[in-house]
Amino acid sequence: MADNTGPTRSRFKRQKVSDDQGKMGGDRANPYLAHMNDDGDGSDGVGLHERGSNGTPHANGSGDTATSGQMAGWKRHATTAANAKAAEDGPSNPFNDAPLSDRYFSILRTRRDLPVHAQRQEFLDLYQKSQILVFVGETGSGKTTQIPQFVLYDDLPQTQGKMVACTQPRRVAAMSVAQRVAQEMDVTLGEEVGYSIRFEDMTGPRTIMKYMTDGMLLREAMNDHDLKRYSTIILDEAHERTLATDILMGLLKEVVVRRPDLKLIIMSATLDAQKFQKYFLNAPLLAVPGRTHPVEIFYTPEPERDYVEAALRTVLQIHATEPEGDILLFLTGEEEIEDACRKISLEADEMIREADAGPLKVCPLYGTLPPAQQQRIFDAAPAPFKPGGRPGRKCIVSTNIAETSLTIDGIVYVVDPGFSKQKVYNPRIRVESLLVSPISKASAQQRAGRAGRTRPGKCFRLYTEGAFKKELIDQSYPEILRSNLASTVLELKKLGIDDLVHFDLMDPPAPETLMRALEELNYLACLDDEGDLTAMGRLASEFPLDPALAVMLISSPEFYCSNEILSLTSLLSVPTLFVRPAAARKRADEMKDLFAHESGDHLTMLNVYHAFKSPAAQDAGAKQWCHDHFLSFRALQQADNVRLQLKRIMEREGLELISTPFTDKSYYDNIRRALAAGFFMQVAKKNSSGKAYITVKDGQDVLLHPSTVLGQDSDWVVYNEFVLTSKNYVRGVTAVKVEWLIDVAPGYYDPEGFKNADVKNALRRAGERMARRGAGGR
Amino acid sequence: MADDEDDYLSMTFDDPSSNPSRKETSLQRTRRLKAEAAERSRVPSKKERAENERVAREAALATALDASNKGAQMLAKMGFKGGGLGKSADARTTPVEVLMKEGRGGVGMESERKRKVREAAEAEEGLQKRQKVTEVEYRERARNEREERQAEGGWWSAMRVLEGFETGAEGATITQASEEGEGEGGEIKKSGNEEDRTSKDVVSLDRKPLRAFNLLYRPLIRQRREKEAQQRLRRELEVSLPTAREREDPEIDLDDKTALGTAIEELEDEDAEAEGEADAELEAYEALTFAQRLEKIVQELRTRYRYCFWCKCQYADEEMEGCPGVSEDEHG
Repeated sequence: MADNTGPTRSRFKRQKVSDDQGKMGGDRANPYLAHMNDDGDGSDGVGLHERGSNGTPHANGSGDTATSGQMAGWKRHATTAANAKAAEDGPSNPFNDAPLSDRYFSILRTRRDLPVHAQRQEFLDLYQKSQILVFVGETGSGKTTQIPQFVLYDDLPQTQGKMVACTQPRRVAAMSVAQRVAQEMDVTLGEEVGYSIRFEDMTGPRTIMKYMTDGMLLREAMNDHDLKRYSTIILDEAHERTLATDILMGLLKEVVVRRPDLKLIIMSATLDAQKFQKYFLNAPLLAVPGRTHPVEIFYTPEPERDYVEAALRTVLQIHATEPEGDILLFLTGEEEIEDACRKISLEADEMIREADAGPLKVCPLYGTLPPAQQQRIFDAAPAPFKPGGRPGRKCIVSTNIAETSLTIDGIVYVVDPGFSKQKVYNPRIRVESLLVSPISKASAQQRAGRAGRTRPGKCFRLYTEGAFKKELIDQSYPEILRSNLASTVLELKKLGIDDLVHFDLMDPPAPETLMRALEELNYLACLDDEGDLTAMGRLASEFPLDPALAVMLISSPEFYCSNEILSLTSLLSVPTLFVRPAAARKRADEMKDLFAHESGDHLTMLNVYHAFKSPAAQDAGAKQWCHDHFLSFRALQQADNVRLQLKRIMEREGLELISTPFTDKSYYDNIRRALAAGFFMQVAKKNSSGKAYITVKDGQDVLLHPSTVLGQDSDWVVYNEFVLTSKNYVRGVTAVKVEWLIDVAPGYYDPEGFKNADVKNALRRAGERMARRGAGGR
Repeated sequence: MADDEDDYLSMTFDDPSSNPSRKETSLQRTRRLKAEAAERSRVPSKKERAENERVAREAALATALDASNKGAQMLAKMGFKGGGLGKSADARTTPVEVLMKEGRGGVGMESERKRKVREAAEAEEGLQKRQKVTEVEYRERARNEREERQAEGGWWSAMRVLEGFETGAEGATITQASEEGEGEGGEIKKSGNEEDRTSKDVVSLDRKPLRAFNLLYRPLIRQRREKEAQQRLRRELEVSLPTAREREDPEIDLDDKTALGTAIEELEDEDAEAEGEADAELEAYEALTFAQRLEKIVQELRTRYRYCFWCKCQYADEEMEGCPGVSEDEHG
């Protein structure tokens, strides 16, 4: 970002830059990936100093009192861009009076080249004048890093004992932007500038600038309805319309009325900002143009039979015929991307051998890719094989992460098949699944825009112009319309929003979605029949978890296995533990079998965790052990961290942490019973014929997902997910007994509430059995 | 029921199937278990399963949660009265549709495929429609064609009749000129078969130019001459084929050839002359329908020869007493 290659630079020069400073310009300067940088590796390019170079004790120990140094005598909300510029120029740090480092000044120079800087005064004028401001700046304009700093110099939160919050939809972004801004401000991360994400709080008493996930701010609002700790709240990337951002907007719309001193900035990267303006009662809008070049758009004459194949063909065609410039291809998911990367590399090698093509470096990019590999996308394109030969280029094959949230310079060609994996939720069949769906027109425009960051580019849409106009919806559906709202409703209740019906959301969900959420929370005993929060609900809302998981955790002491359920809940809160590389699927499956528990996936996961924590694994080097066993070290490490956080909440709430001895014969049964207590609404019953199951309430035919480990024949299973693919699958399955289900949720398992005759009869028989046994016992 | 045992009308019967507590006999039980086992052992095919799955899913997706749902009741208690949530008037009332994508077809492929299927279906439908229309109009068209054929037949025979009259009345020269002394019209009347004519007759026939014939039956003459020319050609070809005998005597063959060749050339020239000239009069006549042409001849026969083509007889006077009328219909 700091190394923005301006539109005026010639191609030749750009090349040189990428040789000399490409590394720096890429990963170093990209705030989103700053967390990946080790402190010592940046000895090239601009004179970088160690992060700890400003490690001198803070001169100004009382940040919450009147300002000193450069900012002495400043009046809040009455400063100018010139004031700020003078303070920024030093000599000492305006926020802690420490001497400023060389690196600070070097970064300052690049910061002042950012597009937003030119409009600093304009921004200040609007910010000072209005309580709410909508700010539009394209990715790369510098808004995420600079606007919060502009605010700091004018809002002076330290004088109020408050903070400026800036929300991000993604954890990684919150972390890395915070780190970048800490560098820019020449402070230690966690001091004046910090971040707060789920399960990790990197802030301190001196923090005045806090980057956080939108979900975290929402959680804070639960206990502090007016968000009194903040003097300004910036909702960044609002165009992404995450669930948490949408709820926050609804909430803040009420808070700003109660708190006239609170300022609110909505930042969006796309130009549909009028919608935000309208929602926020015609708040003023400031737009900063991005640095963009024209992008020529090509459509196919006919719809494509196979979009992946068409994409590969197009990429190779570009490589063979188009002048220098990197390629960005959008595909939908990890497997598809890895597969495409392999094929492109193979084909490109052949082109090099046979048609004297230039080198082509193919890099995958998706959320679950380890950071070190993600970083490869910022490497410079390969040099020609011989001086003056055909240019080398790089081809990035990405999910829609690269659509708005990442800035990759050098992209000149975009290949857009028009699909992405999108979450869908339908309350009627209670399915929350990722489905490959056509993108929206707005997304398509955003994708095309990626080609024009460096110089005029080309975007190849693998669909017809007619399809673009007719098949694509205008705007993507915001997450709130595509999600199960059970935890959101719990949060809203905790936020003190009692009138859920009239809560002013930008895009209110379908009433049925809300009904389903209320129903679910009622069965989980989190809400009573009036829809009011119960003690259980209040307790469950303390956990940053899905309500069903929270309830499972809370009730686990009753089953003498809260330690195990705590581990399991943590494992369910992180990405998949099992690594299954395409090249070694068989071996990976064999390794997984080592951990398999006949009762199913949850106990298998628990086996993995226990093995991971065993001295045998830890002593040998946990990382290597994971690698050897085809397990994700990162996921397990993360789970460990989540476990620690949840454990603290349990201790705080007085929940007992207990286990029975491993040798107890009901050790596993206890765990399965506890699972049933949380998952009783995600249950499938085996059909009378064959391997198929049926979801008990909604009567959907499902199969066990091929990844499922279930070594025993079980009539009843609880499942983690109902996945829609070409078939209906349930994934993450554990065998349970019907009696347990009836026991934990007698209301839910009243046979009369079931349509399917088979399920109804089975429940009735089980009920009779239980009654007989109960009577006999007495 | 227990109070009034005599009230048969209001008496109700227990539905045995709805009363699970009622004991079933061991026989019934065996039968039921057998039926259940049979049902269980039947493994549905993959396709069946997929189809069932899809149907069940779509049915469930199309069914909105109703007031029996606990959540719906809770929401109602919160003051929800239907419509959308929130404060904006255009809030959505139904969940976002779940669209399953199968395969790797590009954007627009599916609708393109559907469009093609639809178009094919429409084309098929259109074809059927057209066929139906044809069926309806088939009789009509067939009738028209039949009438046309009849009119054509009538026209040809009327021309012959007229020719007969003309040659009989004013064609004396032809008859005289003919070495056989046989009137052409007469011959036609006798046999109606022009195939019988020999090329010798034709060659020797006085070749009056086509235009000299009455326009009304000129097509007849022309057709006859064409046929004759063809026959002649065929015969000449046959003659010109070298037979074993001819090969023995090549000289004769050569002479014959020369002679015949000349003859053919002459004939061809004549034909070319006769038919090459544009006969506007004839063209206009042949542009008429057969029925119209027939009518013209019938009229001509009546006025000039007091002959009714339909009665097949010549009347004595102009009144043509006894003839029902001009048209065929009038002759029943």
